[in-house]
Parts: sequence; structure tokens; C-alpha cells
Amino acid sequence: MTLSGEFLAFMSLALVAVIGGVLLLNLTKVVHMVVALVFTFVSIAGIYVLLSAEFLAAVQILIYSGAITIIMLFGIMLTRHNDTSEPKTGRWRKLLLFLGVLGFAFAVYIGIYNLDLPAAPNDLHVNNTEQIGIELYSKFIIPFEVTSVLLLVALIGSIVLAKKDDEKEAEKE
Amino acid sequence: MDLETLLSYEWGIMTPEFIILGVATALSLMDLFMPKSQSRKILGWVGFAGVLAALVSLLGLIGHGPESILLDTFRLDSFAKAFKLLLLIGSAMVLLIATGYEPNEGLEEFRGEFFYLFMAALLGAMIMSSSGDLITLFVGLELLSISSYILAGMRKRNLHSNESAMKYVINGSIATAITLFGMSYVYGLTGTTNLKEMAGFLTSVYNEQHIYLLGLAFFMIVVGLSFKLAAAPFHMWAPDVYQGAPTPVTAFLSVVSKTAGFIIMIRILFSIFANAPSGDAQGLPMILALQDYVAFLAGATMIIGNLIALRQRNIKRLFAYSSIAQAGYLLVVIASMSLFMFDTLWFYLGAYLFMNLGAFAIIQHVTHKSGSEDISQFAGLYRRAPFLAIAMAIFLLSLAGIPGTAGFIGKLNIFMGALVPSEGHYVLVSIMIATTVVSYFYYFGVMVQMFFRPAGDTGKVKIPAALTAVIGISLAATILFGVAPNIAFDFLQGNFNQFTDFFQ
Repeated sequence: MTLSGEFLAFMSLALVAVIGGVLLLNLTKVVHMVVALVFTFVSIAGIYVLLSAEFLAAVQILIYSGAITIIMLFGIMLTRHNDTSEPKTGRWRKLLLFLGVLGFAFAVYIGIYNLDLPAAPNDLHVNNTEQIGIELYSKFIIPFEVTSVLLLVALIGSIVLAKKDDEKEAEKE
Repeated sequence: MDLETLLSYEWGIMTPEFIILGVATALSLMDLFMPKSQSRKILGWVGFAGVLAALVSLLGLIGHGPESILLDTFRLDSFAKAFKLLLLIGSAMVLLIATGYEPNEGLEEFRGEFFYLFMAALLGAMIMSSSGDLITLFVGLELLSISSYILAGMRKRNLHSNESAMKYVINGSIATAITLFGMSYVYGLTGTTNLKEMAGFLTSVYNEQHIYLLGLAFFMIVVGLSFKLAAAPFHMWAPDVYQGAPTPVTAFLSVVSKTAGFIIMIRILFSIFANAPSGDAQGLPMILALQDYVAFLAGATMIIGNLIALRQRNIKRLFAYSSIAQAGYLLVVIASMSLFMFDTLWFYLGAYLFMNLGAFAIIQHVTHKSGSEDISQFAGLYRRAPFLAIAMAIFLLSLAGIPGTAGFIGKLNIFMGALVPSEGHYVLVSIMIATTVVSYFYYFGVMVQMFFRPAGDTGKVKIPAALTAVIGISLAATILFGVAPNIAFDFLQGNFNQFTDFFQ
């Protein structure tokens, strides 16, 4: 593999993404975890740019780094924000999990280390946002509509689960 | 693509889905504008009517040839029609159970939400059953899953329910992530999400490395979907979720959701991997080469489900393990891959639907009356309510697979299907026989309670009409398909033509 600028950019972005993920799992303060998560999200957006998926990158930053992280921060601030999580698992379990992760990584690695995919004609960067729009509203209109139902369900569901109980219940307590 | 081409598709084949979607919307609006004090039970009946209407329109479509809209993002073939029939019948009966649900706490004020979330879940399952595109399949799966997570947590002040929803959402999202990862490999190798195009592309894959990656994708998809089926060793969530969720939701999860899981599993595995080469000398398709792993999954599920069920005292946990074991029997059908796989699977899922929903209707009534879910609540049921006890006994016999019931015919078909291929799956069949014998112990344990133990309280039991209807229908169907299974098989043969259009 030649050492091109793209390769360097990919390596650094991937490294940041992986480190962010690992830190997310290992940090103990919730706010720190969220910051680690932001690093992962932003570097994934960078990888999207490398793949000429600029629209996806913009959406990734808007939705994940923006909306979701902010909501998480709100959630943390409105609840017990100085919560720290204590690791409780035993050493054997950790070792087994580590071996499992290692095994899976190895299995994927042998699959991809000299993978040779036929290069497709590469005009991904031409009007790609417009193309996404056209595909989405013509070919994939059915899954698109079902997704809207899905979002509605998620909205109603979160209201159902999160709203305060009515007065009758409040009196009981 | 302009409006004309869009309108040239035959949107009429989506009528059942449109009806369900419309009813779900109407229910949410009705809930919004109804006075707060009014009971929401009426919404349940509207939903029931909607499901019946969808069922009628589906029956009207049965003679319709295979048809697809927008490059297979929606397709109506025999497979879709046959399994949608099961989904709709199951949902209609779960709705009846739900209208008969009188909770002590919790669900009352969320009754309205319960019904339209339920309809949304049903819509997801139906979309899944008639789709030839990975994107639609996945969106349908998510719609079903997310609605189920919320339904499981509806009893907000019940700690078990909270725990179950939490466990379900975490386990379910991990499973979804694994499935999606597997799907992404298949997409990456083929460059399309359309199942048919994928199959066409994969027939010409000879690169070792690509085949290896496809195998990896196969395992990830199977593992992810096994969570949905609650197949061992990915069944850990099921007992807790089944125990914690409100009883109608448990019935829904164990019947409709499980059916949907098998639907998506068959769609994906048999569309994609039936054509992919396995890379060995004889040129076997990949799915045949990896058959043994599915068989292992089936064996483990049957053994674990049945053995752990022996130790359960809580009736809902017992049924959770029983449903895990049933998933194991159904996996045997997939592992054996006989010619009649679809017929066998359809019949067993249908039989399972009736016997399990009937049993859940009775469980709901008995546990609600006493407020406890211990098996001992069934003590002396025969004295108190002979009809309930006899119906429950028949459902249990059917679940155990005793001759004369639909469950027996279903199991017999599974045996036949597993032994027909040239090298029969003798190990799998013997495991299945052994575990079936084991299952007699816990099914009969409940019957011993009902018939031979003295009753704790001797009050007469009054059953709501909706529950009586569910029990009556299930009872009739369980016995009818046990005595005359040909009705169902003739229906399949006559209308679905061996499911030949599945691969077209």
C-alpha cells in the first residue's frame, strides 16, 4: 500500500475514532464519555468525506455530534450528573471477553487483509446530494415512509415512557 | 422517475398495509380527542376491526400473481401472503386478549398508546414479510423492534416491566447492530440492496476471499436474527422480558414477533445465501455448506429451552422457555431444508399461534385474578372453571405434541422434513424427540396443578367475552388442524403453489 495523503488522513481519522470508542468504554465520568463519543462521531464524519459522501458527513455532524450529544448532555445535567460507573465484572470475564473480541477481530482481519474488490467506475462526487434525493424520493419511497412511521413511534414511545404520571397517582404517593 | 411511472405501479397490493397504517393513525387521533375519563377499550375494538379489514383485503389478494412495486422494495408473493395471514390472525387475537386485560396498575392510562404502538409493530412485521430489499427489510425490523421495546415497558410502575424493557432495548440494539454489520458486508460485496440482484451477482463469485467474507456475513446475520427468535445461546433476554411485560405484550412477542423473526430469517438467508457458492469442490451453495451451524443452533435451543423450563415456577417464565424450545423446533425446519420447508414452517407457526395464544389468554385471566404468576395459581382450576381447565389442558397437550392436536401434526411434519433429505438429520431428530419427552414434564406439571391439586380459593371464575372468543377459536383450530390437517395443507397447495415464486 502506498503512502498517500488519503491514506494518512484515513489512518489518523480511524485512530481517533477507535481511541474515542475505547475511551468511551474506559472513562468513569459521564461527561468525559460524551466528549470521547464526540471525537468518534467527528472522525467518522471525516471518513465519510474521504469516501466522497459529503452529505452524509454533514448529516453525521449535525445529527450525531450536534443533536444527539447535546441531548445526552441535557439528560446528564438534568439527572444525577456526578454519577460515575464502577466496573464490577470479574477478571475472568474480562479475559474471556477480550479473547472473544480478539478472535472476532482476527476473523475479520483474515477476511480483509488482502481483499481485492473490482474497482467500480468512480463518479461518486458528482452531484451526490442531488442523487441521494432522487433515489430516496423515487426508488426508496416505501422504506422512507416506513421510516417516518418509525420516528413517530419512537416519539410517542418516549413520551409515554417519560411523561409524569397523572394527578391521581401523585395524590397516592 | 416521474409521477406517471410511480402511479403505474399496482399500489392495490399494499392495501392491507395501508389499512393498518390508516387505523394506527386514526387510533392516535381518536386517542387525542377523546375525553380523558372515557375508557380506551373502544380503541381496541377499532383496531380489531382494522386488522379484520386488512385480513379480508389480504384474502382478496390471494389469487393475485406475484407482483412488485419500485424494484422489489415491496413485493407480494406467495410467501408474503401466507405469512402475512399468520401475522394478521395472530394480531387480531392478541388485540382481543388486550381488550380483556384489566390491569391492577400501569397499563390503564396508556391503553390508547398501547393499541397504536401495537398496530405500528404489526405494520413493521407485515412490511418485513413482503419485501425484496434489504433496506425495507431492515426498516420493517426496526419498526417492529422499537414498538416492542416500548410495549414491554408499558407498566411503568412495575419494576419487572422496567427491567424487561431495559434489557430488551439493550440486547435488541446490539443484535440489530450485528445484523446490520453482516448486511453491510453483503452490500459491500454486491453493490446492491436488492435481494434478487444480490443473488444474481453472487452466483458468479469465485474469489476465495469474497466467499470467506460472505460466510462471515452469514454468521453475523444469523447471530443477530437469532436474538429476535430468542434462540439459544442468544435467549437470555426472553425470560425476563416475557415475565415483565404486560401479558398481551408477552403473547405478542412470543407469537407475532417470533413469526416475523422467522420471516426475515428465511427471506435473507434463502434469497442471498442459497445462490452463493461455498467454495468447496462440489460447488455446494453456501447455505447447504453452513447448514450444520444452523442445526447446532437448533439443537442447543431445544436442549437449553426445555431443560431450564423444568425449573420454572413462574408461569410466564415457563412459557418463555417453552417458546424458546418451540423456536428450536422451528429452527430444525430451517436446518433440514427439505422441499416442503415453507409448508412445514407455515403449518407449525400457525399451530403454535393458536395453541400459544389460547394458553396466554387463560394465563392472563388466571394470573390477573390472583395477582400472582406462580404455577400454584392454577391449582384446582378444574373445580373452579372446568372449561378453562380443559381448554388449557388441550393447549398444553398440543404444545407438547400429543396426537390429535395441531402441535402433533406440526411436529410430525418437522420429523418428516428432517428425515427426507438423502443424508437425514438423525442427530437433530433424536435431540428433538428427547427434548419433547423432557417437555412433557413441565407441561404436565401445570396439568397436575389444574386437575389434582385442591383449589386455593373456590370462587367461580367469570371470563370476559373477548377472552372466551380467543380461547374458543384457539381450541377449535387446535383440534381441527389436529384431526384434519389436510384443510390447511390443501389451502397451501391450492393457493400458494409450493411457494415457487419466492425465488423469482
